[in-house]
Amino acid sequence: MPGNPQFGMFIRSMREEKKKRDPAYSLRKFAEAAGISATFMSKVENGEFDPPAPDKIKKMAELLEVNSDELLAMAGKVDPDLSGIIRDQPRAMADFLRTARDLNLGRKEIEALTDKLRAERCLDPSEE
Amino acid sequence: MRVPYLHKADIEAAANELLMSYHYKFGMEEAPPVPVEEILESLLGLALEFDDLDALLNKKGVLGATWVNERRVVINEMLDPTEDPSVEGRYRFTLAHELGHWQLHRHLSFGEDGQTILCRSKSKKDPMEWQADCFAGYLLMPKKDVIRSWEEVFGTHDPYDASEELYNMQSRFDEAGEASEEGLVVDLARDLAEVFQVSGLAMQIRLVDMGLLKLR
Repeated sequence: MPGNPQFGMFIRSMREEKKKRDPAYSLRKFAEAAGISATFMSKVENGEFDPPAPDKIKKMAELLEVNSDELLAMAGKVDPDLSGIIRDQPRAMADFLRTARDLNLGRKEIEALTDKLRAERCLDPSEE
Repeated sequence: MRVPYLHKADIEAAANELLMSYHYKFGMEEAPPVPVEEILESLLGLALEFDDLDALLNKKGVLGATWVNERRVVINEMLDPTEDPSVEGRYRFTLAHELGHWQLHRHLSFGEDGQTILCRSKSKKDPMEWQADCFAGYLLMPKKDVIRSWEEVFGTHDPYDASEELYNMQSRFDEAGEASEEGLVVDLARDLAEVFQVSGLAMQIRLVDMGLLKLR
């Protein structure tokens, strides 16, 4: 396995920060909570092994209190629910995303659009 | 390198002190099993890893190693209890042994190379290894907890004479013609070992040391 040192180092530094205050972030407890073995976890952190499957990464994001989509992206993955969303509306949704890309919409602009849509439909504000 | 002589009582005091610091900082219940990983990772802030130590150090039979300068402890992946629950006792003893090196030996000077590695292997039995093993026994099986568990099992602190049980066990083994590498462990040590999550043999050695178990 080629490994992903950037992902591994990020996870380790976040976990080490938390473990100083909370023993639940020990290598073993963290690995078990994410659903992988301690050796696997250790080697992912070392950049020796590739990051695990998306559901395990989402669990890690939850434990480390970081955004799961960003953590997935760092691992070179996307949340499987996103491909489902595109499959359900293949033409319209793909067109929507490509248009956003072609217009070079920045993060701020996309967030503003999302917030506007949410407000119009009276949805809860974004999690962030 | 000269390793200072340490009395058993000093080593026991060092182990108890470490355990007390953990409970002082993190609270948690003071019942066995001793939270040995949490002591290493959260209290001392050392990094814990699992790896193929034989390949890493190009040496066979290394169970654990501590890189003092890097504040890093690496355990042989053969001892990962999340992959093989049967190694739990040996894993915990190895961690506690490395903690012993950390507490007792990290300040000793080890020559010029600047990289200090302390290992635990089956074969080596120099004074430093003996001290770390001794520390591990005290840390994983604190006297007061052993006495409490003993009383819960027996309702007394009288010692138990297991010489006959051991003799019978020995003769069964001899008949079967098997030599036991781990040594023979009496039932009682095996039962208490589960409470402390150590190997039966480690528990038996501790009980004999405390005078609670007589084997001859």
